[in-house]
Amino acid sequence: MVKERKIVCRCEDLTEEEIIHAIEEGYDNLESLKRYTGATTGACQGKGCLMHIIRILSQKTGKSPEEIGVTTQRPPVNPVPLYVLSEGGESE
Amino acid sequence: MKVAIIGAGVMGLSTAYYLSKLGAEVTVFEQKYLLYGASGRNSGGITPMIDKKELIPFALKSLELYDKLPAEVDFNFLFRKDGYVKVAASDADAEKLKKDVRIQNELGVKSKIVEPSEVKELVPDFNPDSIVLASYCSESGVIFPWPVIWGLARGCRENGVEIKDQTAVDEIVIEGGVRGVRAGGEFHKADVVVNAAGAWSNKVSEKAGVKLENKILKEEICVTESIKPYLDPYIYDITYGVYLSQSARGEIVGGITGREVQEISTDSTLEFAARYAKRATQLIPMLKGLAMLRQWAGVYDEGKDGLPVVGFTEVDGFVQANGLGKHTGMIVAPALGRELARLIVKGDNPNLKEFSPRRF
Repeated sequence: MVKERKIVCRCEDLTEEEIIHAIEEGYDNLESLKRYTGATTGACQGKGCLMHIIRILSQKTGKSPEEIGVTTQRPPVNPVPLYVLSEGGESE
Repeated sequence: MKVAIIGAGVMGLSTAYYLSKLGAEVTVFEQKYLLYGASGRNSGGITPMIDKKELIPFALKSLELYDKLPAEVDFNFLFRKDGYVKVAASDADAEKLKKDVRIQNELGVKSKIVEPSEVKELVPDFNPDSIVLASYCSESGVIFPWPVIWGLARGCRENGVEIKDQTAVDEIVIEGGVRGVRAGGEFHKADVVVNAAGAWSNKVSEKAGVKLENKILKEEICVTESIKPYLDPYIYDITYGVYLSQSARGEIVGGITGREVQEISTDSTLEFAARYAKRATQLIPMLKGLAMLRQWAGVYDEGKDGLPVVGFTEVDGFVQANGLGKHTGMIVAPALGRELARLIVKGDNPNLKEFSPRRF
């Protein structure tokens, strides 16, 4: 049933069940889990899902959130259209 | 035979995979996690349209292996053969494309020269005024590098290879020849140690007392938000170094070919984002409104004469498997790894003589 699906990452349409499945497949650290599921790499760049992912990883692996850490944050903080970028940063 | 491989990138894992098929007992040591290095950070362009003739036979063989490997290891690499376009924006580079295509054709690559107006037929909204000439090869395309690594790792594990992540090799133990490695506080006996550490290869080689002077290159890359299937071929502008393609997830993935650096760094710069955005939107003006979501950088290496460094060194049992170079690592690694596995097991492989570390 649709109402039983717990969406964790809205950008990539990932459910909690899918995250748990990936952890059980062996993608049980944050960097691998991120790459295997796509979580935190969508339009929101993890703003909506990173904390949920860390919670699920913590529950499944017994590691504390501090041990799990966070993913590398990549620029830009918010999406920027290419035409805006193409106007800036000239240094050569 | 016990083999220790340093580096779980595409070269290390393909070597491990084919070694395990030949019956060797293999352990792979990865300093961080799978996909940490260049194999997890590249854009997945796959073509035999290479401007180094020594690499072309390996690219052609790898294309065959990329067809077979997904079934062998039971993992979909998401390889889409929708073609590859190289474009030139200067007359000198147009001549280079013509010369390269002649050599490629002689070696069996079905590449051809195409006029700017013809590129427009391959790439919607392409701006033919932004280039002078192009070359095209249909037997090419875009692979998703991540499943290549996951799949090879899966195939390795099925064959009994142990992959130790978060395990940097602290010492290569040499007494006369290779005796093993010390990693994660333990000694691991090995008859052969393979240095497949990519940008870290010079440092790893030092641990064996072998001088390796590969160039280290840093490359920046980015993705946009996802759009519906739009861009079929992979596009690479050889004049500006700018390349782009659409990923299996719908993002436009693009970057600028790496530049030599003295120290390993994966910082992102605004200068890159601006240069990339400017050229990408000259090539395909319709991309202007598309938003960049994230950018990152990766590091890789290239032999000092531009060719990979693969084979036995002066230290008995110490093997180089690095220096795969610009735009060529993912395409040559499967075949190169398979030939290297044969070299290690048989002690000789004439197919690799051009890449021998002893050439320097």
